[in-house]
Amino acid sequence: MNTFDIVIEICGSAGEGTISAGEILARFMSSQGYEIMSFDSYPAEIRGFGKCVAHTRVNLNPIYSPGKYADVLIALNDKHAISQLGFLKPDGILIYDNQPASFHEEDQSVAGMAEPGVTLYGIPLTQLAHEAAGNSRGRNMVSLGAMACLMEIPKDDFVTAIQNRYASKKQIIIDNNIDSFVLGYNWTGENIKKIDEYSFKGTEPAPPEDKLIINGNQSVARAAIDSNISFYAGYPITPATKIMEIMGKELPKTGGIMLQTEDEISAIGAVIGAGFGGKRAMTATSGPGFSLMTEFTGLAVMSEIPAVIVNSMRGGPCTGLPTKTEQSDFNIAVAGGHGDAPRIVLAPVDTTDCYEATALAFYLAEKYQTLVVLLLDFFLSNSIRNIDVPKPINPSFLSANIAPEPDQLNGYQRYRITGSGISPRTIPGTPDGMYFSTGLEHDENGRPAYDSDTHEKMTRKRFVKHGNALDEAPDVVISGDDGDLDIGVISWGSSAGAAREAVDAARAEGIKAASFSSIMISPFPEEKLKVFADRCNTLLVPELNFTGQFADFIINFLQRPVVKLNFVTGLPMASEDILEKMRELR
Amino acid sequence: MASNDHYVIAGNGPAGNAALNTLRKNDPESRITIISDESVGFYSKPRLCSYISGRIEEDELFIHEDLSFDNTRLRLGQHIQSIDPDQKIIFLSHMEKINYTKLIIASGSKPSPSPYMTQFMPYLKSITDFHEAKTHKQCIHDAQQFLVLGGDLVGFKFIDMLISMGKAATLILYPQAFWPFVLDSDMVDRITASLEPKGIRIMVNDRIQSIQDADGGYQVATLNHARNEIEEHYCDQVFAFSGMTPNIDFACKKGFDIDHGILVNEYLRTRFQDVYACGSCAQIFNPILKVYQTTIGWTNAETQGEIAALNLLGANQVTRLAPQKYFDLEGVKIKTSWWDDTDENPNPDGDF
Repeated sequence: MNTFDIVIEICGSAGEGTISAGEILARFMSSQGYEIMSFDSYPAEIRGFGKCVAHTRVNLNPIYSPGKYADVLIALNDKHAISQLGFLKPDGILIYDNQPASFHEEDQSVAGMAEPGVTLYGIPLTQLAHEAAGNSRGRNMVSLGAMACLMEIPKDDFVTAIQNRYASKKQIIIDNNIDSFVLGYNWTGENIKKIDEYSFKGTEPAPPEDKLIINGNQSVARAAIDSNISFYAGYPITPATKIMEIMGKELPKTGGIMLQTEDEISAIGAVIGAGFGGKRAMTATSGPGFSLMTEFTGLAVMSEIPAVIVNSMRGGPCTGLPTKTEQSDFNIAVAGGHGDAPRIVLAPVDTTDCYEATALAFYLAEKYQTLVVLLLDFFLSNSIRNIDVPKPINPSFLSANIAPEPDQLNGYQRYRITGSGISPRTIPGTPDGMYFSTGLEHDENGRPAYDSDTHEKMTRKRFVKHGNALDEAPDVVISGDDGDLDIGVISWGSSAGAAREAVDAARAEGIKAASFSSIMISPFPEEKLKVFADRCNTLLVPELNFTGQFADFIINFLQRPVVKLNFVTGLPMASEDILEKMRELR
Repeated sequence: MASNDHYVIAGNGPAGNAALNTLRKNDPESRITIISDESVGFYSKPRLCSYISGRIEEDELFIHEDLSFDNTRLRLGQHIQSIDPDQKIIFLSHMEKINYTKLIIASGSKPSPSPYMTQFMPYLKSITDFHEAKTHKQCIHDAQQFLVLGGDLVGFKFIDMLISMGKAATLILYPQAFWPFVLDSDMVDRITASLEPKGIRIMVNDRIQSIQDADGGYQVATLNHARNEIEEHYCDQVFAFSGMTPNIDFACKKGFDIDHGILVNEYLRTRFQDVYACGSCAQIFNPILKVYQTTIGWTNAETQGEIAALNLLGANQVTRLAPQKYFDLEGVKIKTSWWDDTDENPNPDGDF
């Protein structure tokens, strides 16, 4: 297998074009046929002087995690880049501005703080940007030019990528960006003696295919539109806002409505109302908003109304870390709120999954007449991948409501007890299909009923229905060795990619290992996990929360100990950290 | 109680590291920073040819000093732009200021390409540091026929290496390239007599007229002024070793007394309080001969680095000669420090 794996980070201050440069880099690499995974981190403040990092991993082969350490760090801001040096490989490359406006005091220069072994390339970024465009705004493009030259990347192809990025802008903006890039490229070629071994020369990526460059949020929004959603209600919150923005733009084109509500409680209320009316509806939020929504989620469960909530997790509790990733809403997603309120929870592991899981969420919500929570996280929402164009959604997913047969409308019982737990549902306006819908416990006709018999019967009905949804679960993904294993790594959500890569690396070191993940979290494919666990000497559960919420969840039915590996750094799960733990455990 | 001193050592060669060890031993609480142009750690330059030929592995080149002290900082790949000895500030080329309380300059020497060679630079390779050695290692193994220009001490190591590898070579010798001394005609004759039987062709002072790509190698035309003859050579690689010069650009125009190197007294102190210089970047006052003289060689550098550090800490030691002070250049014994009036037997295993 042809191997090539490089991680490039651009670190600057908000407003310096860090994220734009990262996006251009990622798109360019994709256009050349490389596999990419790109992830940005930025401050919670809208604009200011906070630290931004555009992180892009480039590979010839499929990649599943962003890579913890960078091979190349481009420093647009010394102060911020110093704090990023810990993530630069010991033999990495540092590209920095060697002609800032004034001398840095001791230890305030990123070049000065670089560890021995790091190759330093000083480029007069500011000076060249001024030369190219008359101001310093093009420093990001100058630095990209320098990097491209050092990495022996053809100049012209990159220029095209810049042109495409700014195609909708004024010509002068396009010209300034290209001029800055070209000057950075040429200056570096003429003045810098390359002394490192990193290069794209001869890497020979596969011919570029028709790829979709997309992040998790975009993937969810696209799938929602393709699933014929007609109503979206929400309140903006990082990292889910992008979904709302896309809905605001796209839904009206298909006759749909995007409603910005006064808060998240109102949003989920509106979504449940639309679901009651027979419309496919969704809201997207993050932890703080989801907490508010739990006031209402019970209604969707109790009155058996389809509703889809995307919860893109961020560091918590409370306002927490708005622009950092975490997987700490597992418990609230699976069991948050009051009462016995079973809901379906799906946790996609990558961008492609985001699309497929969203389509599945609408299908399940409609068919099982319940709440479906789609659990993303900041990393998954924002990380950009170049994926194959998703397959068209299964037509059966597009209309999943089980309506009553005409003869069932005679004495229609909305909540009739059935073997599957699913009661045929009429849409308001259906002749003879009227019924009471209430958040109170109710009998099969929907009339409030508080007797113990009814409550027990109806509770069981809701749980039977929930359990049956397991039949619709996507296959669990097991990757690694067959037979008995030293270590089985069980993961969920965005951590699954890192687990898979760690397992591959561990196997290369002679550790017999495999990874297990399931998109469907609730109901969970317990039996499949038990079969997997029986093959494993040790079970390792890496996740991005402090207590091991998922680990505790599976311990309940595995009835055996697992090794928890927990991080709350605000960073995506790193395969390197899982691998290190596996070495310890071998 | 931690010392408030911040000692800075400019240079990560034998002089700088000897100074570091001495400071570490005698003032363990102080903060020490080493600054080096090169991006790799302390290694043995004299062994670069052994590394290229494959006699030793890369790791064997490196001298692993203990830098685990919290208060020792190694700044590699960082270039000193200038020094303000009055303010005690070092300005690094990446635009960072470093304040010091005491400074040892041990920046060694750097290649000094002959001006007439400048136009041929794209064709010329050299072995002045680890990076170049690593870069050129494979092409040296692949090539059979070499043209070596200049000579100098590193160049002779290179010639020795080519002989040991069974390569063919022509050496165009420039006697003036042997800073800090010039080869006299007797020395040239003796070197020629030593090398020619080993298959090395020697030409003296011939000038390059042209170099052109040819059949994967180079076609080189040389002019012998004495005979007014042009000769054509084909070779696979052209290497140039045209001498060294003190690496002290950063000290120019900042008030240091400079002749060829930084002038220091016999205690290795510059004209500035708390600034010392040692090794091949320094010109040391010889109180007997009343002249400033330069030394080269590993042992000299180490000895001076130690003395500079001790004097910086308050001692008052006069620079002594290193026990090995002769360099064996193809049987020609060349002094690497020579101001005392003793006349020890030349050590044929001298270093540089």
